[in-house]
Amino acid sequence: MIFNSLTFLAFIAIFLPIYFSLKGNARLWLSLIASYIFYGWWDWRFLTLISLSTFIDYYLGAVIRNGNILNERKTWKAVFGYGALMALLILGLNFLSKTVFPKISYLDYWYLPTLGLWLAFLVIYMANKLSTAENRGYRMMVVSMVLNLGFLGVFKYFNFFSASFSQMLGNFGVEASWNTLNIILPVGISFYTFQSMSYTIDVYRKEIEPELNYLKFATFVAFWPQLVAGPIVRAVDFLPQFQKDHDFHWNRVITGTGRVLWGFFKKCVVADSLAPFVDQVFHEPDAFASVNIVIAVIFYAFQIYCDFSGYSDIAIGFARMLGYDFNENFKKPYFSQNFSEFWSRWHISLSSWLRDYLYIPLGGNRHGKFATYKNNMLTMLLGGLWHGANWTFVFWGFLHGLYLIGQRALGKPFGTLMNGLRFPSWLKAGVNIALTFFFTCLAWIFFRSANFGIAMDVITGIAGFKGFSMVNVMNKFWVIKGFLLIGILLLIEISDIRQHWNSVALRQPAFRMVAYATLLLLLAFFGSFGSGVFIYFQF
Amino acid sequence: MKKSLWIFGTIALAFLIDRAGGWFLSKITQESQFRYSRLYSGHDPADILFVGNSRGLSFYQPYAEEKTGLSTCNLSYNGMPVSLAAPLVMDYLDRHHPPKVLVMDISLMDSVRMDNKLAYQFNHYSPNSQRLSDLLKRNFTNDFYAGKISHLYRCNSEVFQRTFYYWKKSDKDWLLDRVISPSMMSSVGEQKTLRFSYDKKMLDQVSTMVNYAKEKGVRVELVVNPYYPAFVPKIGNLDSLMNDLNAATGLTVKNFGNVVTQAEAFGDYQHVNKVGAKLYLDKLIQAGVLETRTGLHSN
Repeated sequence: MIFNSLTFLAFIAIFLPIYFSLKGNARLWLSLIASYIFYGWWDWRFLTLISLSTFIDYYLGAVIRNGNILNERKTWKAVFGYGALMALLILGLNFLSKTVFPKISYLDYWYLPTLGLWLAFLVIYMANKLSTAENRGYRMMVVSMVLNLGFLGVFKYFNFFSASFSQMLGNFGVEASWNTLNIILPVGISFYTFQSMSYTIDVYRKEIEPELNYLKFATFVAFWPQLVAGPIVRAVDFLPQFQKDHDFHWNRVITGTGRVLWGFFKKCVVADSLAPFVDQVFHEPDAFASVNIVIAVIFYAFQIYCDFSGYSDIAIGFARMLGYDFNENFKKPYFSQNFSEFWSRWHISLSSWLRDYLYIPLGGNRHGKFATYKNNMLTMLLGGLWHGANWTFVFWGFLHGLYLIGQRALGKPFGTLMNGLRFPSWLKAGVNIALTFFFTCLAWIFFRSANFGIAMDVITGIAGFKGFSMVNVMNKFWVIKGFLLIGILLLIEISDIRQHWNSVALRQPAFRMVAYATLLLLLAFFGSFGSGVFIYFQF
Repeated sequence: MKKSLWIFGTIALAFLIDRAGGWFLSKITQESQFRYSRLYSGHDPADILFVGNSRGLSFYQPYAEEKTGLSTCNLSYNGMPVSLAAPLVMDYLDRHHPPKVLVMDISLMDSVRMDNKLAYQFNHYSPNSQRLSDLLKRNFTNDFYAGKISHLYRCNSEVFQRTFYYWKKSDKDWLLDRVISPSMMSSVGEQKTLRFSYDKKMLDQVSTMVNYAKEKGVRVELVVNPYYPAFVPKIGNLDSLMNDLNAATGLTVKNFGNVVTQAEAFGDYQHVNKVGAKLYLDKLIQAGVLETRTGLHSN
């Protein structure tokens, strides 16, 4: 289910009143079932994957803290029972999809999720048997990583690595061909896998207590506002919020509504209005004059920002209405003056995840200059790969790694140069922002391009200055509308730095009415409602 | 209770601004010099009525009017499907004294390349036309009713932007004016074969439109506008389309697909530029598709 759909409108209209009329476990059950409906609306078959992942991490979290597997007899009962229940449910849904709802796809290999669960527990059991009391917690944490990354590897990266390996062997003259898996990428798998992994790591690090209430843990993993495209919510921040009921609170509804409207403005008005121009140019860049390619790259920078941060705003807004607080995921990233600042403002939940669970464990900046460079690069390469199974994403990460290294290496001499030029501070900031934006856009070219050939066509198209004239701008109506909407967005974001519109909206009802009505009207007048999914669903 | 009032206040405020804004934009729509605004105002009498998709824009009006001495109206639009062209033409005929001739470029008979979602962009004209309203209600139900709830939403389209752009200026010289690039010229051999994808429903729509025009005493000409010469062999099923149109309407389609031979007369494979449009219009006059005020072919 996607936020910008009539189905979701119906979903939320039913969900909200029931949610606030319930308390305690009943409310949690509602949240969990609603989350599974929200997720399963796209493809119910992948509910088996998310429930599998939830069950395993719930159990491992308890084992890590307990120092041994829990009551062996009870565990096996639960595992076999859960597996059997899953198989029965799938068979039932298969039956319904073949008879009553023929349009719904069915699961060919109905036994796979159950088999996967039993195999996973066999691995856990063996790992437990082979562990000592001292290393058991660590090994169980590693098992959790292996299983979670295993799911991710099979569903997201298997075909990519298989094809790349085959191509590499081909380059050495070795003929290698093997079958790729005919599988679809489950929506949001990277998000909930990382969320789930952070839980077991935090339990191992003793940063949180394991959650022994399965209902709360399952709701934490599947909570619908952020399930498919983030923000990646950490257990340490989110699980404690399930410990009490959240009463209906007007201020939360008011600020949450504003945030949701702002998210829809970013997604439906800005991102989806820019998308058609970008799609046309990136489909066949060499057919366009350079002025159009430049515009498409700038448009894409704002499209992806508004698409992704718009989703986060909507998620944060709905969570706030329901009584939960998510950390901010974007903080006006295109106003960053350097790349470390950019990464503290862009997709914060991922960048902080990578920092805490990868960069710092690798040694961070504690082991000298070159180790720091290596850690920066490794983190960014994996950050790139997280986005998708394509070398263009890896190269995007590589470029950002280079930027961070370049900033560390050249930051000081550049700062001295800028100081020597004695620019006023606003100009200095402007130059830094422009330079950071320029290099960010350069990296976006690879992120957006379907392959390196397209990316090189974009770059050579711009560098060639072929047809760099306003006369050659294609569909000026799209371009004028695009820049107008970017202008409105920037105007609001810049003024928000001083005005803090959200708190003004909370204090002054008249302002709030005008602001929210304006957002509604902008949605009606400029919004695109037919484009469908959010870009980050594919990650 | 007091706290919940702001929700109703916001909705009421949004509704009021929407209606006020909608009224203002409908005034612009009525007063605009854009072709469809003139169509629905009933103030665009013409001797020659053109219709087509982006290729129909090559019926370059200033030159046509100069050479024929007759007034023209061109209802062509980028990606115009026949399902939209037919009601627009019939609406024109209802609101104006019948033109002498209706000329239609048949390349809009293609359900794959034409923009089948274009009709909903004409939502701001729907209050003026029962035919458009019916088309929208049938094919774009959500958009149609959303336009009833929000009048601003009706104007949420590129077609409205053009209506606004041509508020105070003429749109008669709307024609892409560029010369085909050398790389396009050299890669014409790599292009896929162009096949018109059409069905009986589309043939019926043309037939209805043609019969309606004939009933009003309008001569109807179905034509094939020029293609880039080296691209002509890439057109797969033009003959069968011409035959099917002939069977459906009783009219012989006149093929001008290869009458413009200079490369510099094209913007791309399927569109002539201003130079090409002038050459083409000369050919239409020579062939008698377009008559002149004096009845003589001009040179």
